[in-house]
Amino acid sequence: MTVLIRLENVSKVYPRVHQPWERLRAFGSILLGREPRDGAKVLSDVSLDVLQGQSLGVIGENGAGKSTLLKVLTGVIRPTTGRVEVHAGIAALLELGAGFQPEFSGMDNVRMKAALLGLTSAELDQRLDEILSFADIGEYVHEPVKHYSSGMVVRLAFAVVTASRPEILITDEVLAVGDESFQKKCIRWIERFLEDGGTLLMVSHSMYIVQKLCHRALWLHDGRVEQYGEVFPVTQSYLAWHQSRSAEERRLREEQRGAAGHYRVTGFVFPEHGGGDTARVAMGDDLLVEVTLQSPDGRPPVVHLGVVRIDGTPVYGVTSDSEAVQPVRIDPHHFRFRLRFNQLGLLPGSYHIRALAMDPEGLRVFESRERLFQVNGKSIDVGIVHLPHAWTG
Amino acid sequence: MSRIHPSRPDLNFFRNLVRRQIRQDYLENVTGFAWLVLQPLVLLGVYAFVFTTIFKSRIPDSEVGFVPYLAIAFWPWTAFSDGVLKASHAISGNAALIGKVALSTEQLPLAAVTATFLMNMVGYVAVLVVLQLLGTNIHWAFLPLALPVLLLLWLFAAALALFMSALQVFVKDIVQILPPLMTLWFFMTPILYSPEQLPEQLARLMEWNPMTWFVFHLRELLLFGRLNLGMGEFVAPALVLVLAWLGWLFFRRFSGHFEDFL
Repeated sequence: MTVLIRLENVSKVYPRVHQPWERLRAFGSILLGREPRDGAKVLSDVSLDVLQGQSLGVIGENGAGKSTLLKVLTGVIRPTTGRVEVHAGIAALLELGAGFQPEFSGMDNVRMKAALLGLTSAELDQRLDEILSFADIGEYVHEPVKHYSSGMVVRLAFAVVTASRPEILITDEVLAVGDESFQKKCIRWIERFLEDGGTLLMVSHSMYIVQKLCHRALWLHDGRVEQYGEVFPVTQSYLAWHQSRSAEERRLREEQRGAAGHYRVTGFVFPEHGGGDTARVAMGDDLLVEVTLQSPDGRPPVVHLGVVRIDGTPVYGVTSDSEAVQPVRIDPHHFRFRLRFNQLGLLPGSYHIRALAMDPEGLRVFESRERLFQVNGKSIDVGIVHLPHAWTG
Repeated sequence: MSRIHPSRPDLNFFRNLVRRQIRQDYLENVTGFAWLVLQPLVLLGVYAFVFTTIFKSRIPDSEVGFVPYLAIAFWPWTAFSDGVLKASHAISGNAALIGKVALSTEQLPLAAVTATFLMNMVGYVAVLVVLQLLGTNIHWAFLPLALPVLLLLWLFAAALALFMSALQVFVKDIVQILPPLMTLWFFMTPILYSPEQLPEQLARLMEWNPMTWFVFHLRELLLFGRLNLGMGEFVAPALVLVLAWLGWLFFRRFSGHFEDFL
């Protein structure tokens, strides 16, 4: 099989260019024929072959160097070290509206882009109808591109690319912009392009699309090739890595929350009802709730306690600081609140009691916990709460 | 089909670039195409008024009037100066294009210079025709000889454009520095006056100004119908060629790095 593109030990360093003197120094070193070497290393030691008919999907996180790699492949940027060989006609659809000039009409931009893709004027005239019908943007083609929606830009750009009949099509995540029907049209076009022996090189975050369209996959991580080979093993190990990493991140986040010591609920019980997580109370009885809060800085925190019916209807809530209640200090970092609801007026049913751990200022809620309790009784009154009343005649 | 980076210049693309530049700079105005011929004529009228009526300028020992003497040199100078100035930000002004599509970037400054020259040459011909109609004897027979001179002037502008546009990516101040330098150059070139009007020392110094050579030959050919051939006629083209070659090397050395610095 013929090699269409070959990369050998390609590295790319973006020099530091923020200060004028940094630019001048870079200018001097390039003039003397040296590559500016200190800067952000975006790609290191990437080698790969793209064979005819062996479509390649480039995957990896944001900032892994995927787009830079495509730019190197298309010749938009020159690698700092390493070799790039290209033996095929490339059409690239990198960023949205790449190379489109907003001030010019769609038609002018089509001419420009077609010329860039190597179409002669005669070829373009021949294929113009084909381009316009593929883009399907109607009379907008005579309007300046700056008035286009992003979807229309992609339509037009993709239409020109299809007309240039490339041997390799390189796309970044641009197809995600168009609407669904246009995306399908593009996918269909790409599938036919692949059947006819074309080669696709794409960056995508959708493993489904990569698996569907590509034979091989390249997983980039921090500018290095993490894995390169058949599409299924590579995408699967990428997904597995991704999942384990998100799990790890979640664990870390939780650990941090504990260690950084946010205000937390560490105990939440009904002491007079067995001290358990749930309670059964007879209507009209007392209900005692005990909440223990952890305070990282040792200052007495604020608790909010609320009663919610099982369907989510709030019944009543009260905050300790609004009633100037000070908790009992159990140890330097733990504080206990006890709240007694006298002669509970709730009608029979299931309720939650919710405790919110708040900072000493009572401004931020750090944690919310709920406990279930049931009110038993034989009342046939309707509503949520029994209001004290008397019939007077 | 085989392609090695960076991509080769491509004539079709270059033509599109030039066409685009012309449309952007000249034809987007309300008056459109008419402006192309009108603007130089209006400008000529202004100069005629200012220099013959207010300053009472005359060219000593010459049967040629001041206005034709000025006009013959002024349009090529404008083409040269505008071309270089416009091209100096051809790279930074097309940052969006350079970062996203592969193209041989030297086409951008060259297209800017070429578009400016083409447009100014249209104005030049219009001015020459009007001068003829107003009674100046333009030596049309020498036009074919003036063409290589103008072509060489284009090459000179292109060479400077390559230097300046590449340099501008690294030294952004070029855009500020260049216009006053061009104005200085304009006054250091015998466009508004003839070299004979200068003190001898300054006149000798002026011979080192390459623009003097261009201005002198255009006047000799088109205004006086004289062909002057000497050593200078071989040295000047050779120097311009060497400069263009150096400009090309300079540009190529930096072009692969533009994307990093834009």
